[in-house]
Amino acid sequence: MDRRKALKKAGLLAGATIAMPSLFSLLQSCKNETRLDWQPEFFTEDEAKTISALIDTILPTTDTPGGLDVKADMFIDKVVAQTYDAEGQQNMRNAIAEFNASCKEKYGAVFPELSDADKTAVLKEAEASSPKFNPGVWGTTVGDQQPVGFYRSMKSMAIWAYFTSEEMGENVLSYDPIPGTYEPCKPLSEVGNRWSL
Amino acid sequence: MANFNIDAKKDLTYDAIVVGSGISGGWAAKELCEKGLKTLVLERGPIVEHVVDYPTMNWDPWDMEYRGGLTPEEKKKHYKNIRSGWVGKDTEHFWADDEANPYTEEKPFLWLRGHQMGGKSLLWGKQTYRWSDLDFEANAKDGHGVDWPIRYKDIEPWYTYVEKFAGISGEALGLPQLPDSHFLPPMELNCVEKHVKERIEKNFEGRNMIIGRVAHLTQPHNGRGQCQNRNRCSRGCPYGAYFSSNAVTLPAANATGNLTIRPYSIVQEVIYDDAKGKATGVRIIDAETNEVIDYSSKIIFVNASALSTAHILMKSTSKRFENGLGNDSGELGHNLMDHTYRVGAIGKVDGFEDKYYKGRRPNGIYIPRYVNIDEKSKSDKFVRGFGFQGSGYRGGNPANIESFGADFKDSILKPGDWEFFITGFAECLPYHDNKISLNKDVLDKWGQPTLTIDAEFKENEKALNKQIQEDAVEMLETAGLKDVMGFDKEHPPGYGVHEMGTARMGRDPKTSVLNGFNQVHAAKNVFVTDGACMTSSSCVNPSLTYMALTARAADHAVSELKKFNI
Ligand SMILES: Cc1cc2nc3c(=O)[nH]c(=O)nc-3n(C[C@H](O)[C@H](O)[C@H](O)COP(=O)(O)OP(=O)(O)OC[C@H]3O[C@@H](n4cnc5c(N)ncnc54)[C@H](O)[C@@H]3O)c2cc1C
Ligand code: SF4
Repeated sequence: MDRRKALKKAGLLAGATIAMPSLFSLLQSCKNETRLDWQPEFFTEDEAKTISALIDTILPTTDTPGGLDVKADMFIDKVVAQTYDAEGQQNMRNAIAEFNASCKEKYGAVFPELSDADKTAVLKEAEASSPKFNPGVWGTTVGDQQPVGFYRSMKSMAIWAYFTSEEMGENVLSYDPIPGTYEPCKPLSEVGNRWSL
Repeated sequence: MANFNIDAKKDLTYDAIVVGSGISGGWAAKELCEKGLKTLVLERGPIVEHVVDYPTMNWDPWDMEYRGGLTPEEKKKHYKNIRSGWVGKDTEHFWADDEANPYTEEKPFLWLRGHQMGGKSLLWGKQTYRWSDLDFEANAKDGHGVDWPIRYKDIEPWYTYVEKFAGISGEALGLPQLPDSHFLPPMELNCVEKHVKERIEKNFEGRNMIIGRVAHLTQPHNGRGQCQNRNRCSRGCPYGAYFSSNAVTLPAANATGNLTIRPYSIVQEVIYDDAKGKATGVRIIDAETNEVIDYSSKIIFVNASALSTAHILMKSTSKRFENGLGNDSGELGHNLMDHTYRVGAIGKVDGFEDKYYKGRRPNGIYIPRYVNIDEKSKSDKFVRGFGFQGSGYRGGNPANIESFGADFKDSILKPGDWEFFITGFAECLPYHDNKISLNKDVLDKWGQPTLTIDAEFKENEKALNKQIQEDAVEMLETAGLKDVMGFDKEHPPGYGVHEMGTARMGRDPKTSVLNGFNQVHAAKNVFVTDGACMTSSSCVNPSLTYMALTARAADHAVSELKKFNI
């Protein structure tokens, strides 16, 4: 199943029915926050803040770069703007709105405005309730894939954006564009981090 | 490499014409040129010159605007090809334009095409295996389809001949059902693959697990470089380290001075002269200018890939051949086969957490056929057999790990779990009603009739798939893997990209299109040596057999020409 369909078929908490507050009140709620320091191509400012906050919670900055350091949010915005069709884009908007609606219902605010503790609580619940990706063989998923829902799709996209960034690919992960020989059983300690390619 | 001669304007007459420049057409061009024939290769797509025309060969993910993702326009252009899961920004330019070249699926069928100089030789997986008498005798023994007009001994020297030039790496095993090639040193199994191999071979008598036999150079060979384990082959290899027409056969053909290759030349039909009683040339449409041009020659090799070749012959009508050139038997376009694909099992391997590998080996493991090879291994559920491909690697989807935040992020910088999968390829029987036909209602970009494809896997293939999945799960579980999951994607035919049989060889002109030297029975100066010619499908990858049959047919063609027999 492709990511678009997965998004369409499941919300954040797969299976749960979520009461939708009016979109208008959601949009209002972000009004007084600080502005983004970049101009999204696809996302509204509030949607962009939600994506950025999610990425920052999943992949925070430590002594290695975080997701926002490698601009994963900006990249995802570009990917949705340029490679999704109209239906996929609409599904993305709906999924973000649903996600924020459920945050609001349970914790009283949209995701980017929650305290760190509440953000953690939301994602813990999302982790526990969303199905996993089946393994893939040669470019297609095998077995019967359950819809993984918005959270795990976005987590997967964030990791993809993070790992395929130039900074991570060349400077943090192990990078070797022309390996030459194949060494079939090398001690992991001699390689270090996972290969970027 | 010297530039190719693409000037086919001044000369409309050649000794030989080759239609298509993919795996089989490239070999035809090389052999005919080396034997001194002035040869015109007609290729419907653009020139792709080795290295020069591999724009993406060194791209890293971050060099692509969407890191490999395609825009909606690009997805639309490849709306059929994209179902394969192989089409990304790095190779998009080597996949045919599905909008300009439509086809109709009576039942689901994926027809994967590469329309450029080199055809699918740029995109293929390079798994390279000889067929055996188990394959060449199968139809005669169990009564499906017609008998092959050749046996292993007829093709054996030609396997050696093409292997020596192409360069095939692998390990010799001495198995009768999977004869050894003339090998360059094998690639290596990694620790997990070795571990699984030991367990499988110990617990299942008669089953072997080997490193895949591949058309990759594990040492420099015939002026080409050694494989650098980049696994970016389908973008074109800067070292010429895998077999493609672009890096191997066409440069050799070009070096003779006898080659002319005309790009953007869509062959419409083979012209048959009723008075002379033979084919005299071909008619093309120039893909860019729509100009119609006739070229003539003494012999014609049609190597447009199995379905396109049959398509061309079906459109080649004359008084003598009202239903398509060489179609006296009514078998043209019938007996379409592919291999079943993506049915197998995957699991995790514990205990090698401190081990990794270096290099992206463009190859995996192979488990040769072990059922229905003798009385002892005979199945009562199906005829024919299957083999497995697969590999062990550190994978694991970090998005599945139930965690997030600082520790999570640091943990995913390390490689994930070891995974190991095997996936079967099963033989498909030649069914008369698996067929293609001309569709005059759906026209291509040039206003020409297209194909309707009407094919499906039937009971025997389904029984084979069932066994594949059961065996795969059993082998991985016995080998001690965890979380073993069997799968059957129930792919319709076409996904295996091993289309065969639409102009089959046979002993009897009443039931086949080609004779034992790949000549159209009733038009002996027309040769077909791509997948269309295959009488059965074996369970192993077919392209090496196309190469060997092509070299053999070219040798026969030139000797017949010299004797004035054709
Ligand atoms: C992803 C992938 C993996 C594969 N892996 C393997 C593998 O591991 N092992 C294996 O054995 N095989 C594999 N194959 C299959 C292999 O690519 C084909 O068997 C092989 O390329 C067929 O050779 P061919 O000469 O018949 O056709 P092609 O290589 O497809 O060449 C046909 C050529 O004819 C041209 N043409 C078509 N119509 C016309 C026309 N009307 N006029 C002029 N020119 C025309 C095309 O543009 C093309 O250049 C794989 C294929 C794919 C796509
Ligand atoms: S893996 Fe080998 S053959 Fe493939 S592109 Fe790299 S060097 Fe070339």
